[in-house]
Amino acid sequence: MVCIRQATVEDLLAMQACNLLCLPENYQMKYYLYHILSWPQLLFVAEDYGSKIVGYVLAKMEEDASEPCHGHITSLAVLRTHRKLGLATKLMTAAQNAMDSVFGAEYVSLHVRRSNRAAINLYTSTLGYKIHDVEAKYYADGEDAYDMRKQLKVRTAHHHGHGHHHHPGGACCSGDAAKPVEADAGTGASASASASANAGERRAGGVQSR
Amino acid sequence: MGSSLPPKEANLFKVIVKSYETKQYKKGLKAADAILKKFPEHGETLSMKGLILNCMDRKSEAYELVRRGLKNDLKSHVCWHVYGLLYRSDREYREAIKCYRNALKIDPDNIEILRDLSLLQAQMRDLSGFVETRQQLLTLKPNHRMNWIGFAVSHHLNSNGSKAIEILEAYEGTLEDDYPPENERYEHGEMLLYKISLLEECGLPDKALEEMHRKEAKIVDKLAYKEQMASMLVKLGRIEEGEKLYRSLLFMNSDNYRYFMGLQKCLGLYSERGQYTSDEVERLDALYKSLKEQYSWSSAVKRIPLDFLEGDKFWEAADFYIRPLLTKGVPSLFSDLSPLYDHPGKACILEQLFLQLEDSIKKTGCFPGRTQKEPPSTLMWILFLISQHYDRRGQHDIALAKIDEAIEHTPTAIDLYSVKGRILKHAGDLAAAAALADEARSMDLADRYLNSECVMRMLQADQVGLAEKTAVLFTKDGDQHNNLHDMQCMWYELASGESYFRQGDLGRALKMFLAVEKHYADMTEDQFDFHSYCLRKMTLRAYVSMLKFQDKLHSHEYFHKAAAGAIRCYMKLHDSPIKATTKEGDDMSNLPPSQRKKLRQKQKKAEARAKKEAEEKTEEETTSGSSKSGKRQHARPVDLDPHGQKLLQVEDPLLEATKYLKLLQNNSASSLETHILSFELNMRKQKILLAFQAVKQLLKLDENNPDCHRCLIRFFHRVSSFPAPKTDTQKLIWSVLESERRDISQLHGKSLIEVNQSFLENHKDSLMHRAAAAEMLLVLEPEKKLEAIKLIEDSTNKLAPVDGAQGPVREWKLDDCIAVHKLLETVFIDEDAASRWKARCAEYFPYSTYFGGCRSSVVSYSLNHNVQNAPENGVLAYQEAKKEETRSLNGKLHAFKDLTI
Repeated sequence: MVCIRQATVEDLLAMQACNLLCLPENYQMKYYLYHILSWPQLLFVAEDYGSKIVGYVLAKMEEDASEPCHGHITSLAVLRTHRKLGLATKLMTAAQNAMDSVFGAEYVSLHVRRSNRAAINLYTSTLGYKIHDVEAKYYADGEDAYDMRKQLKVRTAHHHGHGHHHHPGGACCSGDAAKPVEADAGTGASASASASANAGERRAGGVQSR
Repeated sequence: MGSSLPPKEANLFKVIVKSYETKQYKKGLKAADAILKKFPEHGETLSMKGLILNCMDRKSEAYELVRRGLKNDLKSHVCWHVYGLLYRSDREYREAIKCYRNALKIDPDNIEILRDLSLLQAQMRDLSGFVETRQQLLTLKPNHRMNWIGFAVSHHLNSNGSKAIEILEAYEGTLEDDYPPENERYEHGEMLLYKISLLEECGLPDKALEEMHRKEAKIVDKLAYKEQMASMLVKLGRIEEGEKLYRSLLFMNSDNYRYFMGLQKCLGLYSERGQYTSDEVERLDALYKSLKEQYSWSSAVKRIPLDFLEGDKFWEAADFYIRPLLTKGVPSLFSDLSPLYDHPGKACILEQLFLQLEDSIKKTGCFPGRTQKEPPSTLMWILFLISQHYDRRGQHDIALAKIDEAIEHTPTAIDLYSVKGRILKHAGDLAAAAALADEARSMDLADRYLNSECVMRMLQADQVGLAEKTAVLFTKDGDQHNNLHDMQCMWYELASGESYFRQGDLGRALKMFLAVEKHYADMTEDQFDFHSYCLRKMTLRAYVSMLKFQDKLHSHEYFHKAAAGAIRCYMKLHDSPIKATTKEGDDMSNLPPSQRKKLRQKQKKAEARAKKEAEEKTEEETTSGSSKSGKRQHARPVDLDPHGQKLLQVEDPLLEATKYLKLLQNNSASSLETHILSFELNMRKQKILLAFQAVKQLLKLDENNPDCHRCLIRFFHRVSSFPAPKTDTQKLIWSVLESERRDISQLHGKSLIEVNQSFLENHKDSLMHRAAAAEMLLVLEPEKKLEAIKLIEDSTNKLAPVDGAQGPVREWKLDDCIAVHKLLETVFIDEDAASRWKARCAEYFPYSTYFGGCRSSVVSYSLNHNVQNAPENGVLAYQEAKKEETRSLNGKLHAFKDLTI
């Protein structure tokens, strides 16, 4: 049995290690810190009976005020040794629920390699994602990505649940809170840090910089 | 700013500042030069020009200009501020703080400088200074939310939680009743949850609970709200309400075992160590039976009872739990069950259960008592499970037989090869383990996990070059050959550092260990930008826990290993400074000629490869420099020391080692290894009192540990060999040791020889204790070498007891036996004894390549060069796969050809 729970800062090193074991898209610690210090509700881990982190989901809210309020799955991984337990589904569901209930996200997006049939199958048939677009040569190795989306609530509805989550046009993610790396009045050191954090983001699909 | 300039130049100065802030450095530089043309010695302009050059990677010019600017205008807060920013960019925070303070002397209410100062204080954990600065900021700008929050957080960090609460409440007092507006609901909710956690932390759960009820509608994060509320209700003893809440949390997520534990606590059925009376077990059993009906889909409700049930009930529950997982084919089943192996008696029950299931499936195709046929894969998964069971029990031969049976049953199941590799690793055949992992990898080249596992096994088998080639298949990043370092892939750097160290390549080992150390320094640095960010984002609970995490970052396992590795490298370098570069040659002389030749060939190839890579790299640099320079901001600097040779040229290796030792002492004080390293290092540095400190720590941690015994004896033996003290310092040290010696109970009224003797008596059944006593006998009485060797050789390898009865496996561990062999070889320097030991251990560990066991791949290969007859069924398929792959990747993997098992 594997425990699904919200991640804490103490989990980040193990999450990074899990990512490096499983996936070709990797990030520096600062990027994990950026996630947990911006949206602590959107990170979940799968912890096995021996307290080892065997899977995680790293998610965020998009802060582009020109788009409707929505979440984005930055990265999802489960160790090969812990397949067939439905962990990916449970992690995704937990993150999606939090995006909806805490941030009032209208939909959630993600990128997936065109060749990754298993993942695409999970997203479409189990989790209800649809292909929204194709991003040519999205990954560092030149592979295309599918831009997939899942609607979390009906668009016309302004109210849901408790009735006080009214989030007109992306205001949920206060656009004034700039990213830490941008907020810094750039010295050489922090400029390069921002460059690397953004590079990580591009691979993960957070920012459409082009 | 720029006030001493005429209007035209003053405007230009504004342009400089603006350009700096918007990172338009060229424009800023042009404006600065325009001013300097007329006023070549204008201090603030010189400073700003320096700051901009700093951002353009022109460090030395930057410092020169900033210093000259300051010299020309010592009364300018701009010049001091800029100087501070320059230091800050080089992570010289203490110097930066000094500069900011000077700037504030001139302009005490400058908000920008105060803010910059507060960030540095938070970073450096100058907490009282931080409180002071945040107070100033609040006084200057009380209408900024961030200043209230910052002041509160500063008090909290400075251990004054109640003051922090007061400030937050005062802040709330400034807000309208209908606060917050829609777009600040999240931030406000986070602030409230932070305040509630402060109330709890200050021992005021009543007030916290009250606050939660009052502010419920304003708290957005309902999950955190419920979790916090439940834990507080338990604290307050309001268990009925707590129970209700935990049940509702379980309804939301029945896979979070913390909720189950919470529920158990509410029902008075929780024990930290999992020990329950039979009455409690019955009640727990009933509880989980009822939960099982409610949450039939939850695997937790089925798994948790295995922890507290015993005997027949345990058998029944385990049987119920594992059957569907075998049918489904869950690869992690064994690892899920493995914590039960620490409970007395359960491993034996599981073994019987597994064998019964295997037997039934083989005979009838069904589970016992069932008529429904299982799919064919069920048998494979049972064999898979049983093989891991025997591996865990140390019965490697049965484990291998079972996994081979599974492979024969389903040769396409990749996980079987991974597990077979793991068993071989445990059994001591590292090369075969690596080959198996490589075979698994080749069965799905797109799976990075298989790649990582293979790389790990290769590194364990000291095939570093091959490991790198394999890892690189996943780590190309644009034109970058290998991004493992940039992505902070620490397991890889550690494992390869350890391998280089084993092979005596200190330069490369050091390079790897220091790389890991650098990642931790970078992570410490990473927090900097978040000091202001989190105050704005209001993610205060996460922020404070991040700071706590950072404070103990260096106690993390990877850092510990890297620092220990680096210290060992430096000590080895100190012990044999000249040999450092020719160490490999020395190691070679110990090898048989056939392997020596192989090693030489390997080295030659590695050298050629490195040369080629270096050439490719420089080529890359030049092309990217010319054609793609627009795209790339920073060209990746060429690694000028790929083999770590420069790292070996340190003047004082022990001084370097001391830096890392301090980090270990501050962060891993409860680890034996820390103090053993401290002992070794300080003995070499002749720091007698520090070495003695280490001995004292070791005795406190574990006086029965063989290594602690070694340090104790070696220390006092060394001290006894000193000449009588002459100087005052020496006399002082002497008297300290005299008085301290009386406090060490082991030494009371005994000579060191007697101390060693009684240590041996107390632990005469343990191999490692006997080895330590023997080694110390050699130290104390070198003439008794043969007697000492006999002490080791007279040790007996008994069958280890299992649940009180005699088990099938012997007690000695492979690693311990290898350590003893190295002791005989390098400390006793007795070839005969070493080879006797080797032959004896080859019997105990037939798969061990180190001891040349009869079933290890080294022996089977040299016995018959015909690979097809090798007992590893992996080999043949592996060779095929290898050919296949080499072709498909256009021979890029030429290094694979080197691999022989």
